[in-house]
Amino acid sequence: MAISRRKFLGWLTATGLSSAFGKTAHAGTTKHFEGHPDSLGVLYDNTKCIGCRTCEAACNRVNDLPPPDRPFDDLSVLDKKRRTDAKKYMIINKYDHIRNPKGPLHARIGCNHCLEPACASSCFVRAYTKTKEGAVTYDSSVCVGCRYCMIACPFNIPTFEYDSAFTPRIRKCTMCYDTRLVKGELPGCVEECPTESFTFGRREDLFKIAHERIRRYPRRYLDHIYGENEMGGTSWLYLSGVAFKKIGMREDLGVTPAPALTASALASVPMVVGTWPLLLMGIYAVSKRKEKIATEEKEQALADTIAQAKAEADLKISEAWQKAEKEKEKAVETAVRKALEEAAETENEESS
Amino acid sequence: MFVILLICAMGALGIEALSDLSDRTKSDLARADGITIDALAVFGDLERPPVVFLHDLHTNALEEKSKDCMTCHLSENGRLSTRFKRLKDAGKQEVMDIYHANCIECHTEISAAKEKSGPVVCGECHRKKPTILSSRVPMGFDKSLHYRHSRALKKQCERCHHEYDQKSKKLFYAKYKEGTCRYCHKKESEDLISERRISMRLASHLSCIGCHRKTMAENMFAGPISCSGCHDLEQQQEIEKIDPVPRMRMKQPDFVLIKAGGKESSGARMNRVPFSHKSHEGYSDTCRGCHHKDLKSCLDCHTLSGSKEGNNVKLLQAMHELDSERSCLGCHEIKQRQERCVGCHGFISNRRKQGEPYCMKCHMAPTQERTGVLTQTGERELARMVPEIWWAIFGARQVADIPKKVVIKKLVDRYEPVEFPHRKVFRALEKKIDGDKLAAYFHLEEGTLCQGCHHHTPAAKKPPRCGFCHGKPFDEKDLFQPGLKGAYHRQCIGCHDKMGIEKPVSVDCTGCHAEKKQ
Repeated sequence: MAISRRKFLGWLTATGLSSAFGKTAHAGTTKHFEGHPDSLGVLYDNTKCIGCRTCEAACNRVNDLPPPDRPFDDLSVLDKKRRTDAKKYMIINKYDHIRNPKGPLHARIGCNHCLEPACASSCFVRAYTKTKEGAVTYDSSVCVGCRYCMIACPFNIPTFEYDSAFTPRIRKCTMCYDTRLVKGELPGCVEECPTESFTFGRREDLFKIAHERIRRYPRRYLDHIYGENEMGGTSWLYLSGVAFKKIGMREDLGVTPAPALTASALASVPMVVGTWPLLLMGIYAVSKRKEKIATEEKEQALADTIAQAKAEADLKISEAWQKAEKEKEKAVETAVRKALEEAAETENEESS
Repeated sequence: MFVILLICAMGALGIEALSDLSDRTKSDLARADGITIDALAVFGDLERPPVVFLHDLHTNALEEKSKDCMTCHLSENGRLSTRFKRLKDAGKQEVMDIYHANCIECHTEISAAKEKSGPVVCGECHRKKPTILSSRVPMGFDKSLHYRHSRALKKQCERCHHEYDQKSKKLFYAKYKEGTCRYCHKKESEDLISERRISMRLASHLSCIGCHRKTMAENMFAGPISCSGCHDLEQQQEIEKIDPVPRMRMKQPDFVLIKAGGKESSGARMNRVPFSHKSHEGYSDTCRGCHHKDLKSCLDCHTLSGSKEGNNVKLLQAMHELDSERSCLGCHEIKQRQERCVGCHGFISNRRKQGEPYCMKCHMAPTQERTGVLTQTGERELARMVPEIWWAIFGARQVADIPKKVVIKKLVDRYEPVEFPHRKVFRALEKKIDGDKLAAYFHLEEGTLCQGCHHHTPAAKKPPRCGFCHGKPFDEKDLFQPGLKGAYHRQCIGCHDKMGIEKPVSVDCTGCHAEKKQ
């Protein structure tokens, strides 16, 4: 469509100015959210983990998951790095020879129950809930299976039941919320671990425990609690003997919670949806009207000119017609006169 | 089609390169003689990566041609300069030219004689990615080597040991003050106001290799002069070790009663510590382990309130810092990290405050002392009597009191109770401390061995059971105490792991408790 430069710039400015008058976009967290008070968490200490997979077996049992291909006491499974899937909410990966020659270190992969979960933020049907106990739970009854949560999660945790054709669900660790936490019991993995590599308790208390461990044994631990600030903080915290990226945990996540990253863009949606159509339609209407009036005037001018021209033409024609009439009369008169003269002449000739 | 051919060609070339690599022996890839030539670094940023020069490779090649060190090293004051074909670093261009001209010229000559030679092209010396790994291990001069040297040189200590006189700007020899080179020669060369101390690296090479060369020239047995002779791990292990090394005679004390005081009017408050300097000489490979700055007594610099000479480290910290390598307690902590001790001692954090009961182990009360009103006579007497009290109650090792087997059935669920061979484990621990004087002194009271597992409780004949303190996990009132299951597994598995015990395997649950038949 052909649009003039002036018009284009005008629209652009109008749009921009109206944005300035929109609501200032805050993060979804306008207040600094540090978790519900007394919310619970789990501290995983990989210097205590011996890689026995008892936690995986417990998770499988508590959540009524189907039996695995290889039994849980088959530790050769740890020779390959794995990911969570619809039948494994939590897995342990083994990393050999990264600290001392004596033993391997392990990593636990599973839902970290973020304080401000990206999955919950991305879900437009509110299938996820961040409970006040700290667990992030999932309600399959409202889920539409769009899998936005799988894309949103920075840890790549929600897994999809691809095998299920008609009722696939998202599956992930729930901190045993429905089965255990509401009954005041410990999550399965926490309860079963023989060396208490998982410490369960209030999130604030877990920090005290973690810091005390680091203080007492500075050479044993990396001085960082993973999950303290990552993605705005998680409820599942980690202590490690080596750098976290060496055990497959992302260190590049930053401290901004996921909702805050998208909140400013999302907050501008009402303004965009509300203001811009009206404004732009208004401008369009006004300019269209201007155009219409201009066209009308043009037509009017044209009509007037035509009418005037017509009138002049008519006048000219009538004049010409009259003139022609007069000439015709004159011609007729002349002709009659001539004919009479000739008749008189002939008469004269005959009489002589 | 052409692309496929290209890929195949590249693949073939790649394979060729690999086989080329496999032709080279392991020693080619990891060498101890790599010297990084960055002499131009003092003049500014380097344009090209520094050259890794293989010294032994060249000395061996030159030896085959009956050429010696003088081929590359100039002589100055009767000593060879460590620099290549120059005595001083004059300027960037000059130094660069020296290297380029000489190296490339020699290489060209040799390759012209149809022999294997070195690179002549820029990128082959100035490699971005190193092709040689350095396997150089640091060389130390331990007591055995020192003894061999002093024996060979017939105790002419002045051959190596010197001091520097600031006034006359000369080196001189001071008898009975012979310390380690490292007291003055540090990692980097220092240009102090009046002293020009060269780095330890330079000093040791000049001194050691210079002397070895001279000795070899006189057809006597001498130490190595090649890089790998000292810095290659295998060759290092072949160096003859004298054991035991006869004691050095430096007029050092046999036995000291360590007591602060003297200059400071208030003086020490703790009992003096009897210290056997003679026995401790044998516990460290070098005097520098304790005499880290000087051979003087610790108290000369580390006063009670701290002094400038002692870097404001008070006497207390100097003696007791648990995290140090040279304090008394710090060295003891390190000894406790040996495999035979670490099973129990590994759990004890060295960030703790050492408890008071242990003070009297070293700060022993004098046998007879009437010191007056302000002393804790009664407590001192009691502290002195404590070992006697223990002995009176417990007598000689009453092993019969220690249960042979302890059945742990408190948490029986999926597994049968554990039949813990308690006496066997205790015997094993006893064997571990056998022969170790430090362990024997501190484990004089039997109950102390029990404290490895029966921790946070005084030593006793019948210490509390684990279940008397450890109960449900995650108790808010005691955040740092694991629950009973965690306590058992952490203690047992932890100890086994630290001590390198391979059976039972920690991940094999049935190694300790059989599965219950359902």
